[in-house]
Amino acid sequence: MLVRSTGVSEALVEPVALMTGAQTEGFAELYERTFPRVYAYVASLLRDRAAAEDVTAQAFERAYRKRRSYRAGRGTTEAWLFGIARNAALDELRRRKRRAGLERDHEDSGAPSPHDHAELAVRRETVRAALASLDPRERDLIALKFAGGLANAEIGRILGLSESAVGTRLHRTITKLREACHE
Amino acid sequence: MSEHDPSTATIDRDLAAIEDALANGVAVHPNPSARELQELALALRADAPEPEPEFAGELRTRVEAGFPPAPGSLGAARASLRERLRPGRLRRALPAMGVIALILVPLVLVVSLAGSPEEGDGGGGGGGGAGSVAPEAAQDSGGRAIAPAPSSGGVAPGQSNRKIERSIGLELEAPVDELQRVADQITSVTNRHGGFVLSSSLSTGDESAGGDFELRIPEDRLRPALRDLSALATVRSQSQSGRDVTREHVTARDRLQAARAERRSLLRRLEDADTDEEAEAIRTRLDLVSAEINGLRAQLRDLRLRTNYAVVTVTLLAAEDSADEGAGAAGSFDDAVGDAGDLLAATAGIIIRVLAVALPLALIGGLGWLIGAVLRRRRRESALA
Repeated sequence: MLVRSTGVSEALVEPVALMTGAQTEGFAELYERTFPRVYAYVASLLRDRAAAEDVTAQAFERAYRKRRSYRAGRGTTEAWLFGIARNAALDELRRRKRRAGLERDHEDSGAPSPHDHAELAVRRETVRAALASLDPRERDLIALKFAGGLANAEIGRILGLSESAVGTRLHRTITKLREACHE
Repeated sequence: MSEHDPSTATIDRDLAAIEDALANGVAVHPNPSARELQELALALRADAPEPEPEFAGELRTRVEAGFPPAPGSLGAARASLRERLRPGRLRRALPAMGVIALILVPLVLVVSLAGSPEEGDGGGGGGGGAGSVAPEAAQDSGGRAIAPAPSSGGVAPGQSNRKIERSIGLELEAPVDELQRVADQITSVTNRHGGFVLSSSLSTGDESAGGDFELRIPEDRLRPALRDLSALATVRSQSQSGRDVTREHVTARDRLQAARAERRSLLRRLEDADTDEEAEAIRTRLDLVSAEINGLRAQLRDLRLRTNYAVVTVTLLAAEDSADEGAGAAGSFDDAVGDAGDLLAATAGIIIRVLAVALPLALIGGLGWLIGAVLRRRRRESALA
């Protein structure tokens, strides 16, 4: 069974020492700790499971190859890894745009399970519809926060914003999302 | 109310409520609006896509294997190259590279300094610091290398038996307090090589200190004698000249043979003379021929002396600043310090020149990289536009 991250507190765990001698082992720990969230973030952004798998694998491989370039002074390992994953996902989005112009998104990021409670299924659909009404930058922010489970400071590192600016944007976005859910 | 223009307090409250909900997994905030945001946050997290177990297992295997590239692929070749250029390997090679650099850099600097025109008349610096200069490497005051005097042969090619009159001029420089010692050694070296001192003068006073020596060195010992003389002090200059006197020698020898033959003939005629007048005339002629023979013999002797012995004129000069303490004939401490200073100045000059080129390039490169990074970021972000 997949263990969901415990959210913000998880992001405050001490960064893995990637520059130590046992680099492969350190990277494996980072992978175990972040893989589900990286995948969730990438899939939320791309809304295409097959592409999300490719991009997630590509992001981890890139991170592994570049692990010696990580500098602790420039943020946590998670912020560094999610930055790589975000770049890979954005590159994929650009490629897709080039390929298909304004092609509709697949939106196959998880259909409701038949075993889901009806009320829960309705709720999920409502949230997904509301998410679709957000612009891509807002969806990116929501994905980093709730699928990636990152702290506001880490999101700030990735987006090049201050922590307070991230908080303000996040509040505005989630408020907008709530309103969209009510419509 | 606060939905369109929320206050900072409301934002802080809502954000704290969201973080609480994400940390505890429950939406229990007393404020309904904040609680609603908590529920939404939990719903968003719960709705996050989950990876397929097969994909997760496959990727974990690749991570544990260190993302091995497919054999024979471009990635495998790159990985092999990266392994060869690994910092650890480079670090191991650093000492050897450092030693090579330590040898090569000063060598290049010294060669470049020695080759620069302003160093040619350095007056005791640079090459002067080496102390003695062998004739093979000696330079005249113009900085031109002087070929060593050959032990045989001469100006006229094609004949090995030429008679060559050689003159060598040698200027040696030594500190004032070393002049006497060098003068003694000049005589000693001359004697050791079978030569002799024709004349010498030496002054060791502070004013016009120096000396002149006119030496005769056997032709066949000239090369080693010059080498030994050059080793006595710093060679400031060396010159040589050669004059082919073979014709004079042959002429004198032929004339001597003819004069001897004439004398023998005159002596026979004198024995056969019938009258006193005839005998008197023959005697007068014999006197003339004998005088001519003596003159030719002297001429030949002089020629032999001049060709068998080279004339070596040694001028001994007092070195400038030779009164300084610690100065020596064969490279003083001051010379070494001066050379080191010159070398450092030259090195600093080279570094400044390199920096003058490298810094603007680095700035341009850095600016280009920065602009590139910004453009790359913008291009990526355009995917979200």
